[in-house]
Amino acid sequence: MRSVAGIGLRSPHLAQMVRERPATGFLEIHAENYLLSSPALAAVEDLRRDYPLSVHAVGLSLGSAEGLDAAHLERVVGLVKRLQPAFVSEHLSWSRSGGRYLNDLLPLPYTEETLSVVADNVDRLQQALGRQVSLENPSCYLAFGHSTLSEPEFLSELVDRTGCGLLLDANNIHVTAHNLRLDPQDWLRTLPGTAITQYHLAGHAVNDADGEPILIDDHGSRVSDVVWRLFAASIAQFGPRPTLVEWDTDIPPLPVLLEEAASAEQALQDGRQHGARAA
Amino acid sequence: MAPGLRELQAALVTQLLSASCGESELPIAGDSIPAAARLRIHRHHVLSSLSKALAGTFCTVHRLVGEDCFKSLSRDFVQAEPPCGPVLAEYGATFPFYLDAHPLARELPYLADVARLDWALNRAFHSPLERPLAGADLAHVPTEELPLQRVRLTAGATVVRSAYPLARIWAACQPDAPEDDVELGVEGARLLVFRRPDDAGFVGLGEGEAAFVSSLVPGCSLEEAAIAAMGVEPGFDLPLAFARLLALGIMLRCSKDDLVTG
Amino acid sequence: MTTRRIAIGAALAAALTLPAAAHAQGNTEKCYGVAKAGKNDCQTDHSSCAGTSKTDGQSDAWIAVPKGACQKIVGGKLTSS
Repeated sequence: MRSVAGIGLRSPHLAQMVRERPATGFLEIHAENYLLSSPALAAVEDLRRDYPLSVHAVGLSLGSAEGLDAAHLERVVGLVKRLQPAFVSEHLSWSRSGGRYLNDLLPLPYTEETLSVVADNVDRLQQALGRQVSLENPSCYLAFGHSTLSEPEFLSELVDRTGCGLLLDANNIHVTAHNLRLDPQDWLRTLPGTAITQYHLAGHAVNDADGEPILIDDHGSRVSDVVWRLFAASIAQFGPRPTLVEWDTDIPPLPVLLEEAASAEQALQDGRQHGARAA
Repeated sequence: MAPGLRELQAALVTQLLSASCGESELPIAGDSIPAAARLRIHRHHVLSSLSKALAGTFCTVHRLVGEDCFKSLSRDFVQAEPPCGPVLAEYGATFPFYLDAHPLARELPYLADVARLDWALNRAFHSPLERPLAGADLAHVPTEELPLQRVRLTAGATVVRSAYPLARIWAACQPDAPEDDVELGVEGARLLVFRRPDDAGFVGLGEGEAAFVSSLVPGCSLEEAAIAAMGVEPGFDLPLAFARLLALGIMLRCSKDDLVTG
Repeated sequence: MTTRRIAIGAALAAALTLPAAAHAQGNTEKCYGVAKAGKNDCQTDHSSCAGTSKTDGQSDAWIAVPKGACQKIVGGKLTSS
């Protein structure tokens, strides 16, 4: 796919999207919302005729030491076969233990053990799908004292072991770097850029924690200036890629979301013009 | 010595679902923002997002009791019965039972049944849309064979029964509903909930109609359903009822695969 | 073939001759539309309170008084107890 900008397809916009079919590079859906039949799934199958899709799963829990949920895996494979999306992605995180699902992207210690667990789960997922999956870098609110690898080192190893792709979320880099007192430039420097298949952009919120600011990845506002700059730096370093604008809460009217996507397209074009390496 | 990953994940899930989030034994790094505060972000999100998911599914219950009360009910439920699968549209099947047993049920005895209606609408919405049996499909069937036709309900179609007037209670909860009081009265409800192309909906059923519809399990014949209906409602108008159900599009002729064996 | 079966057959046949539109009686309430879909997402709740806020620590044994549409629902079995 050319390095275009796309938008997350969200319920409040479904009917309007089906009616008006505005131009955008691709549409992203969260897999777990479409594993059951529904009028929403019918709408997505209709839209699929006019837009490439990105299927972003949120519940496979690739970091689970218990392994993948076979039934859930089968359903996701079924959805991917049905929709034939341009991308399939998940997160570097976990959400399930002992049969309980927590609907959160929970943090992992970056250790050899975790690497082995995630690589195994990613292998199984890619094998079941018969295609590459990209993993998104998480927004972190905590770090474990016994981690032995940095997050980019971890991702780099994972790419080596499994051939998975990377979904680079510029907002998540900013949130993680702030919350864990890391340098985002260092973070970018260590990342294997050739594995990047897609960029994500989103808004975040600033909360208070014991008098200190903490960033919350709430996908609830426009992309902030600092994240636009981080995005530009990523394009300069790694080259343009298809880019998704996410907005999942306090969802604005569709034109606002499309505007953000247009800004992302502009940044990608600027990156091309400044001689960034081609995708 | 740091816990293994499996052990760590089990401990974290327990922490995040617990009644409070104090200091933990977990190896979480803390600095000017303490470890407990960092963990609290995840705990809050887990409880809040699952509570919101339940509010979305049980939207009528939510409107009945209001935001604060629903938040309290749903958080208790989340902690007691967290999801056992990743699809949130499938979360909450046992919420009506939880409400049945809740002290609030003494004050609002219809609440659990309203939750059952919400759940039935959710299930209907998330069912496949099937091409229903139409009158034209039966036109060529000889009259004497009509009673022998085996019919089932379309996917997601179900009957919700209550001792309370659920349809009127539901109507009172809609955004455009008038402010007038709704007298509960003594009548109960039999509601047929089903999927339509763009949404899910419901209609009220008479006693005989409800018995007819409830009989339509795979393998049941129209004759058996008619007999059940006539059993509960003397003077049951079968032509009218059957025409209505055909028009509602909630029946399918059973294929051999649908038939219950034995 | 029983008399009852014959009668049922005739009644079902009669149903096929009735005009369809007239018989979808009762309000088909439009509800639970597409806007209800999509509960799985991957953002973090903004109202997360980190730090010293005690809100999450409040005892969940406290039951908030119901204050919604239920205030309009009166009579019947509620008043008989």
